[in-house]
Amino acid sequence: MKTPKKCLIGLVVGLVFTLASCGLEQASAGAPPGEATIGVGSMYEPQNLDNAGGGGQGATEALTGNVYEGLFRLTDEGRVENLLAESHTVSPDGLTYTFRIRDGVTFHSGAPLTPDDVAHSIRRVTAAASTSSRRGTLDMIESIAGSGRDTVVVKLSSRSISFVYNLSQVWIVNDAHEDLSASEDGTGPYRLGTWKRGSSLSLDRFDGYWGRKAANARVVFRYFTDASALNNALLTGAVDVVTGMQSPDALALFDGDPGYRISNGKSTTKLLLAFNNRRAPFDRMLVRRAVSSAIDERKLLDSIWNGYGSMIGSMVPPTDPWYEDLTHVNPYDVELARRQLAEAGYPRGFTFTLDTPTYDPHPTVAAFVKSELAKIGITVEINMVTADEWYTKVYRNHDFTATLQEHVNDRDVRWYGDPGFYWGYDNPQVAREVKRAERAGTVEEQTALLRKVGRRIAEDAASNWLFLYPQIVIGSSGVSGYPVNGLNAQFYVYDIVKR
Amino acid sequence: MASAPRERGPGTKRRVRSRTLAAGCALVGAVALTALVSLVWLPYDPADTSGGRLAPPGAAHPLGTDRLGRDLLTQVMIGARIALAAGLGATAVGGVLGVAAGLAGGFATRWLDDAFAVLSDILIAFPVLLLAMLMVAARQASLGPAILAIGLAMSVTVARLTRILVKRVLAQDFITAARTSGTSWPRITVEHVLPNIWPTLLVSLALHLGVAVLAEATLSYLGLGAAPPNASWGRMLREAQTTAFTAPVGVIAPGVLLAVLVVGANLVADGVRDVADPARRRS
Repeated sequence: MKTPKKCLIGLVVGLVFTLASCGLEQASAGAPPGEATIGVGSMYEPQNLDNAGGGGQGATEALTGNVYEGLFRLTDEGRVENLLAESHTVSPDGLTYTFRIRDGVTFHSGAPLTPDDVAHSIRRVTAAASTSSRRGTLDMIESIAGSGRDTVVVKLSSRSISFVYNLSQVWIVNDAHEDLSASEDGTGPYRLGTWKRGSSLSLDRFDGYWGRKAANARVVFRYFTDASALNNALLTGAVDVVTGMQSPDALALFDGDPGYRISNGKSTTKLLLAFNNRRAPFDRMLVRRAVSSAIDERKLLDSIWNGYGSMIGSMVPPTDPWYEDLTHVNPYDVELARRQLAEAGYPRGFTFTLDTPTYDPHPTVAAFVKSELAKIGITVEINMVTADEWYTKVYRNHDFTATLQEHVNDRDVRWYGDPGFYWGYDNPQVAREVKRAERAGTVEEQTALLRKVGRRIAEDAASNWLFLYPQIVIGSSGVSGYPVNGLNAQFYVYDIVKR
Repeated sequence: MASAPRERGPGTKRRVRSRTLAAGCALVGAVALTALVSLVWLPYDPADTSGGRLAPPGAAHPLGTDRLGRDLLTQVMIGARIALAAGLGATAVGGVLGVAAGLAGGFATRWLDDAFAVLSDILIAFPVLLLAMLMVAARQASLGPAILAIGLAMSVTVARLTRILVKRVLAQDFITAARTSGTSWPRITVEHVLPNIWPTLLVSLALHLGVAVLAEATLSYLGLGAAPPNASWGRMLREAQTTAFTAPVGVIAPGVLLAVLVVGANLVADGVRDVADPARRRS
């Protein structure tokens, strides 16, 4: 007869095996090349599956280039290549774009790709109901029309030098597919497997793919809300690669271990102390400059990222063509900050509320900002807000004095040309230059104009650009072919192979 | 039938039980002393970031520093203040509201009492922390609302317990005798009900103190409690989590103090129960 102790041991062992075989779907090991399952760990679960309908960074990360494709692809190095567009021509006045779409492309449902699908896909983003952050970049479109079986003609109301680049962010979807928030019908190398909300999203290789087939059979994105759990998943083999390390201190777990490879790629994610330029005292340039000069950004960066990441003196990251080192414009100088504050009419400082998202690293950064600004007599009252609250209170209602926020996209300096944006920076000259840059005839002209914009907003201290995040990707050493840069949060998985 | 008291040396068992109370008081007292000292003296300015990133424990910084270079000893001392304020504040809110509601329920007429019982049964199904999170999320994330939310959430269990205790006392013969002799309900409450229910309530409130401390730490860990730069132990645990392997003191110090305070509160509850309940003393 079994003793109770033996029964208990048997129960525990059975439970462990059950969990190991069922609950924890480990990334496959030892599968033949091309048939492997790749586990990807991420902190960014999609809100829904539609990037034009509030899907968020998670939808872009998991689905762009993998399930959905654009007419063009933005490579991990930042180049724009033809994808579903075979070729395109631009009229001499720059107002008419004619795209020839690739022949033989089918959606996952089996429907062929047509010019109507392309027109429908672009209209989804530009529609009044669209919540896509890319909507404003395509507002110069006047008309879209299909012509023949493989041609799409787009007419613009004004020239747009970034038009092709901006189209690389537009998913081409089947116009017959109605609800993209919970299901998909794209043309990419994977079709959506299962999405277990709060846990994982799997992609299965699409064998009918028009191009080169994916190098693996299946990819499972596993979502974590805690950086330590993400690290543990990599350590235990539950995932093969993590899309972005959240803390430099966790690197000690992997650094020097031949079982892992650490990549320090290029990032476009900037952390901003964003002032509400509409509201006193931040409607005064001298106050904004004083605050910018009172904060030791180098020390902050070293505290948070311990040598990783970089300082930027404006909204433009080094990956943008119009980047210029502007860190000298508002140097860290407490005496200068005091003088500017006195000149602005606040010799004894003032008190303001800093709306701070509850998730890392914002609370720590807020504490640092408070400590730094106390040196020039400014009292910071930290108000913690959840992500939803931030969206409603700050982004939509503009009901804030200053806030901390990450901005992930590249080429987003243009937001300073929009006085209606949440930070309310209203400089007609900058707005004009942003518009002129978009209508420029050459890349050189566009670059020169946006460089001026970058310099102008730095001189105005429109925001305080605290630092540029690093993009640290860690993978098991047996895994290769994953992207190492974090441009626009995309993460192409089709080239990942596992030995 | 109650068993007769066993023969033993004078006060032997009582002394053992008193040790539980003494141990609990010592642990809670140590935290309280730390909090009191922090009001008049701190090793460093809590906003001082000059200590260097993640400095190890040493003469200048006995517990080391955090990512921003702030002294950890200073932070845990301030954390003691916040933990006690949250624990005592929430327990006071929960106690006052809960006892008042429980007394009202205990004395209420039948249908009111039934409604009270159903309502408290429904509310009690929600964990204290969940209710507190909902309340804080609906208002503003800071220490004051967190204390209020935890206290309100706790008041449901206190009210339920109070109601049951009041009902039990009101069923006693001496209450009937008091009513027969014309004693008013308020006087009955003060002279008969409260003296009979306070030992059990005190034990319950002492246990709730530990729950409240943990709830505040959890809310702060989730970013819904004390706003930075206030060094709540929960917030410290959150911020030190990613550096747990490289600078473990950042996790160990607030974690151990949190455990000390909660264990202390539980020991106090055990001790109070043993001392205040004559039946348990005799058993």
